[in-house]
Parts: sequence; C-alpha cells; structure tokens
Amino acid sequence: MSADSDQHLAAIAAGDADAFARWLALAEPPLRRSLRRFATVVDTEAVLQEALLRVWQVAPRCAGDGRPHALLRLGVRIVQNLARSEARRHRLLPVPAGDELPEAEVAPAQPPDAALRAAVSTCRDKLPPQPARALAARLDDGGLRADRALAAAVGMQTNTFLQNITRARRLLAECLRKAGIDLDLELA
Amino acid sequence: MTTPAENLIEAAVTACRPVEPSGELTFHPAFFDLDAAGRERLFVATAQQRALERALASDGLTTTAEAVLQRIRSRRGVD
Repeated sequence: MSADSDQHLAAIAAGDADAFARWLALAEPPLRRSLRRFATVVDTEAVLQEALLRVWQVAPRCAGDGRPHALLRLGVRIVQNLARSEARRHRLLPVPAGDELPEAEVAPAQPPDAALRAAVSTCRDKLPPQPARALAARLDDGGLRADRALAAAVGMQTNTFLQNITRARRLLAECLRKAGIDLDLELA
Repeated sequence: MTTPAENLIEAAVTACRPVEPSGELTFHPAFFDLDAAGRERLFVATAQQRALERALASDGLTTTAEAVLQRIRSRRGVD
C-alpha cells in the first residue's frame, strides 16, 4: 500500500516547488503509463510535460475528496484530456478507443529500491566510454538543451551521439537482465 | 549499428521540448517521421530511459521532471 501522495498537496498549493518535485518523483511513472494508448497519436513526452505544468498551476484549487491521491487522479484527467485535445489539433485521429472507460484506479510509484539503484549504477559503470559520455550528457542536462548542442559539447556528430545513447540503454538493459532485473517488468 | 528509425526514436526520447513563444505545446519533429510502430517503440524506449534515470538520480527525478521544474522555476524568476 502506497502512502498518500497528497501528503505534498498543501505545500504544492502554497507554491513550494521542492514539494512538487517530491510529488513528481512519485507521480510521473503512473501519469506516463496513463498515456500508453495515445502513443501513436501524440508526442507523449510533450503532452506529459505540459500537463505537469498545468497540474502545478491548478494544484491550489485541488480539494481532497476523501479518497487518496486526489492530485494524481486530477493529473491523469489533465494529461488524458490534453492528449485528446492535441490529437484533434494535429488531426491525428481517431483518438484511441477507451474514452468512456471509468476512472482507472491509480497509485503513485514506489521509489526505486536500493538493489535496483545499485544494479543500475554498477551497470552504468561498465558502459564503454563513448556511450557513457553520451548518456551522461543527456542526464546531466536535465532536458534543457537539444541533442545537437549536447553532441557538440561532447565532440560527437548528432547521429553518433544518438547511436551512443541507444547503445548505452541497450547495454544497460542487457547488464540488468543478467543481474535478474527486467526493465520491462519494472515498468509494468 | 542503429537504423534510421532507431535514430529518430532516440532523437525523440530526449526530454528537451522547446516551448513556442506563444506558449503552444510543440511535438518533437522526429515524432512526425515515425510510423505507428515506431511511435509505440518510442513510448517504450522513453519509459525505459526514464526508469533508468529515476534509479540513477538520488532524488528520483527524471529529465522530464527536471525540465518541468526548470520551466516552473524560470517562470517564477520572471514573475
């Protein structure tokens, strides 16, 4: 049973961005999963980021309803409504079936456990230099700069940079699988 | 070796989504060059990448979360 993610709601509503960061660490995985059926019709990363900004903006008006995870449930509605709206705007229709489904039960993610953290860190340390550098550039940048700029910063052509990131993730997944960790199961 | 489709997918896995001056949400250009199967693979690759980021970050924040927080904090700086 997960703790109520609304423990952060009062601070978020008061404008505490650090509290929102703590909420994001729990809420991002289920919100991303809720976009699964929109994957072919919208850029889910763009939709998710915009929806998270809207959650931050409306959080002061989010009143609890006696059930847990009120802000997360509101987030699911916001992200899915935005996905539908963007699919229509880009004329990438039809919107996938399932619009009329009742509100799905949603729960925040558990923080990665120590064993998973250690395994990922160990596998990262085993990456060859070039994939490791490309991956580090993306992670350290926090989504601020385009890949062209990141590639230039590490002295790679953009295509080489992208190939190195793909290789890094593939090698990490293989290493984790050998350690008994299936990333696909972690995502489920 | 990676294929052209894999490069398109990797390009769109980034959390970097420039914001239009109008504030309008913009899709990554590579998204439009992918077919339905490619977009499905993009969704899975992005989710895997963020799962790895979550496990590597001491605060559990992914590059998606960092990008959103950056936008929130920069807006407050302007306000």
